[in-house]
Amino acid sequence: MERDNREVKVRTENLTKQFGDLLVLDNISFDVKKNEFLCVVGPTGCGKTTFLNCLTKIYTPSKGEIYIDGEPADPKRHNISFVFQEPSAFPWLTVRENLEFGLGVKKVDKKEIKSRVDKILDLMGLKDVENAYPRELSVSVEQRIIIGRSFVMQPDLLLMDEPYGQMDIKMRFYLEDEVIRLWKELGSTVIFITHNIEEAVYLAERVLILTNKPTTVKESLKIDLPHPRNIADPKFIQYRNYITEAIKWW
Amino acid sequence: MEKKKNSVMNIVCIILPVIAVLCIAIGWIAFSTANPRLMPGPVEVFQRFIRTFTNPVARVILPGHIWASLRRVLIGLIFAWIIGIGLGVLVGWNKKVRAVLGSVLELLRPIPPIAWIPLVIMWFGIGEFSKVFIVFIGTIFGLIVNTSAGIKLVDKINIDVGKIFGGNQRQILTEIVVPTALPSIFAGIRTSVSSGWTTVVAAEMLGAKAGLGSLVTKGWQGNDMALVLVAVISIAAIGALLSVLLSKLEKVVCPWNQI
Repeated sequence: MERDNREVKVRTENLTKQFGDLLVLDNISFDVKKNEFLCVVGPTGCGKTTFLNCLTKIYTPSKGEIYIDGEPADPKRHNISFVFQEPSAFPWLTVRENLEFGLGVKKVDKKEIKSRVDKILDLMGLKDVENAYPRELSVSVEQRIIIGRSFVMQPDLLLMDEPYGQMDIKMRFYLEDEVIRLWKELGSTVIFITHNIEEAVYLAERVLILTNKPTTVKESLKIDLPHPRNIADPKFIQYRNYITEAIKWW
Repeated sequence: MEKKKNSVMNIVCIILPVIAVLCIAIGWIAFSTANPRLMPGPVEVFQRFIRTFTNPVARVILPGHIWASLRRVLIGLIFAWIIGIGLGVLVGWNKKVRAVLGSVLELLRPIPPIAWIPLVIMWFGIGEFSKVFIVFIGTIFGLIVNTSAGIKLVDKINIDVGKIFGGNQRQILTEIVVPTALPSIFAGIRTSVSSGWTTVVAAEMLGAKAGLGSLVTKGWQGNDMALVLVAVISIAAIGALLSVLLSKLEKVVCPWNQI
């Protein structure tokens, strides 16, 4: 009950994005509560990434507005982090320098940068490789660097675009647990995009189900299961099947 | 087993360059023994090398000639690096600058540096400035092209990361785009050093009191082939030394690129 009373962190009002004649996002409105973990699922090619790119202002929405703490979202003013699907660690920076990067851009005090980065290095088990370059590490470690780089910002809003899309199932489960641990520890607000329904049910407090193009919000579904979740739990399977039915476009 | 294979490979990699140099030395000895009038042998060249210290050529001993060439190259290169890399960043980053300079660069880039020599001598005479300017003009286009190519190679996703973190244009340029381009910039610097070095020798051959190029000309005109070879070996040695120094510097500046 307490969770439902959390204040609204992100408010999306009538978000619309059109590329020429192609209407991709059609009047999307929803709220994200402070410290909420929201998963967004939808059919392949429904415009999930476009939706995230509008949230970060990589794309300018054709219509509508996104508010963070009541103000129009602006990466310069708000602390937004993004974990891309593709590996995006900077190859010329060491693991530690990669984690420090965003804080340096935001001109955070050096002492604060050190203490935050040390904490994330510990939490993510990256201490041993802090001076290594991404090229020396595996793809899964690189993805951990990117996740760490996002959480270290203590973002107002953390956006994750299918970050585990290229990983095997073992690494995916490991990193999913990792994200849950970081989210709980640091209290971030997370929007996690995935096409993997099992992943959405495993992670989310709430799942936003999108329709096919032109994309609208079909349903917002609260996942009432405690973390850590068991994928064999009948209730878990029930949620998974329900969402599968809801996004079926065939 | 794998370890043993690697260590054998390492030893082979050390031995092969030594064998290559030995082959050249043996070929040199064989050719000079068979044709002593065409090619002085190593002993004769070594004796000539010693004499460049006791009997200065044009009142300058060998290190003086080396320094004269090296100084011209370094001054020319420093200006070319500053202006060339700066312009390269602008051409790669700014579409308007690219539109203005792109076609001009494409026209000027293929011109061999030596082709500029007559024009530069006409404009500025045969003094020091001309030689430095020839080095500058012979190296700057490669630097601009390499730098701009490196800047254009930057991954869009990296720029997006910078934007999402709220970075301004300057931060994105200096902290994301330029580091991405550093290996290409370094490739340009490497090429500029070798082309600068060959250009200065060519420029000196056409008229200079001191410098390795002038040594070649003086040896040639005086039928002193041993002196020509002393100059040629010095040119090769300094070129190789510069290349080694640059490799070391690259390892310091772009350590991630060596992995």
